[in-house]
Amino acid sequence: MKKIIIEVGYGSVSKVKIGSNLPLAFIGGPCAIESHEHAFKMADLIGNVCNKLNVPWIYKSCYDKDCRSSPESFHGMGVEDGLRILSDIRNEFGLPVVSDFSDASWAKATGEVCDMVQIPAYLCRQTSILRAAAETNRPIHLKKGQFMSPWNMKNSIRKLEDFGSDQVLLADRGTFMGYNQLVNDMTCFPIMSQTGYPVCFDATHSIQLPTSMGNISGGQREFIPYLVRAASACGINALFMEVHDNPKKALSDANTVLDIKYLENILSQAKIVHEMRLELIDKFGEDNVHPNE
Amino acid sequence: MSIQTNKKFLVSEVMVPVENCAAIPENTILKEAFEQMGLFKLGISCIINFDGELMGIITDGDIRRKLLTSQKPLSALFVDDALMHSIRSPIVVNPSDLLFDAVTLMDKVKVWDVPVVDSHNKLLGILHSHHAVSILLGIKNA
Repeated sequence: MKKIIIEVGYGSVSKVKIGSNLPLAFIGGPCAIESHEHAFKMADLIGNVCNKLNVPWIYKSCYDKDCRSSPESFHGMGVEDGLRILSDIRNEFGLPVVSDFSDASWAKATGEVCDMVQIPAYLCRQTSILRAAAETNRPIHLKKGQFMSPWNMKNSIRKLEDFGSDQVLLADRGTFMGYNQLVNDMTCFPIMSQTGYPVCFDATHSIQLPTSMGNISGGQREFIPYLVRAASACGINALFMEVHDNPKKALSDANTVLDIKYLENILSQAKIVHEMRLELIDKFGEDNVHPNE
Repeated sequence: MSIQTNKKFLVSEVMVPVENCAAIPENTILKEAFEQMGLFKLGISCIINFDGELMGIITDGDIRRKLLTSQKPLSALFVDDALMHSIRSPIVVNPSDLLFDAVTLMDKVKVWDVPVVDSHNKLLGILHSHHAVSILLGIKNA
């Protein structure tokens, strides 16, 4: 099976390689860009942890939250202001950045600034969104829809490939189990890996309880470390977590973002488990039990 | 009862040319391979690379056996690459082979269809049992 390594980062920012048996990469930041000051503060705080742990990382934050349950919820700073802040973060910290886009017409501007473009899970099979993402010529972070089987993500991959993209990161953020609840099927990582593309675990959205609070989503953050350890042991190439310095005051996903004070703990564990898994591969070889059944 | 057989024909005179066969690119998923087999009414799909070289075959019998052994949901099996479930080193014949010898080989290895390839393993067509036997028995003309 082919193993594709993607490289995130253009220009003078540090490059982050994701895939195969490379070190675990981290993608993180506040769910939404709240202000210039807050975005910079979070880049600094997260950067300190990642530098201390020597974890390659990509700053993530979104300028438009188009999937809010309530029309009253914070929708975001908008394309222009949001991308300007992300551009400033790139320049100031020398970091690659990623943001999602929910409207095909926003893709070009997003790709002009961001080192990676992200496709929201709800839109993971929308042809116009996939085409727009591929046309940015940036690596694409494609999240598996909560309603999708991991094997059917191959259809979205084929669309992206048809549109000229060969740099994709596939993420799991949980799968609907009935209403208002998600579960993580760990077999989705080896299944999605069969595409050859690297895979990512989105921990903070996996513990979400979608729209469980009537008009906003809840979440069970206490389960983040358990799921992170499980996914890292199963086999992932990147870990995604939304992080905030004051979750109760977060303008988006307040019930799911990880408090920055826990980041070092969780990321350390993920890194250790990932490295142990690579040691197991060295010792026992790649998993190849009953192939092609 | 004595049946006259015609031993002079070559495989090239009887084979179904590649344009009338299910010759599918290597990134074809299993469901599309099945559809192609139905479209061309032959129980075989040939998987070829960019240069037209034969990479593997998948037949009706392979699918039947796969359905009895695979534990995957059908929706997952459908999106597997056809190549993943194919026979990677199938029996092949050349266009210059005698048809009689080719059919004798097909009988020996119990297959209904066999890919026809040139000396560079490029797929040229399919030799199908019904056509071959009809020609050999003089029921049809080449």
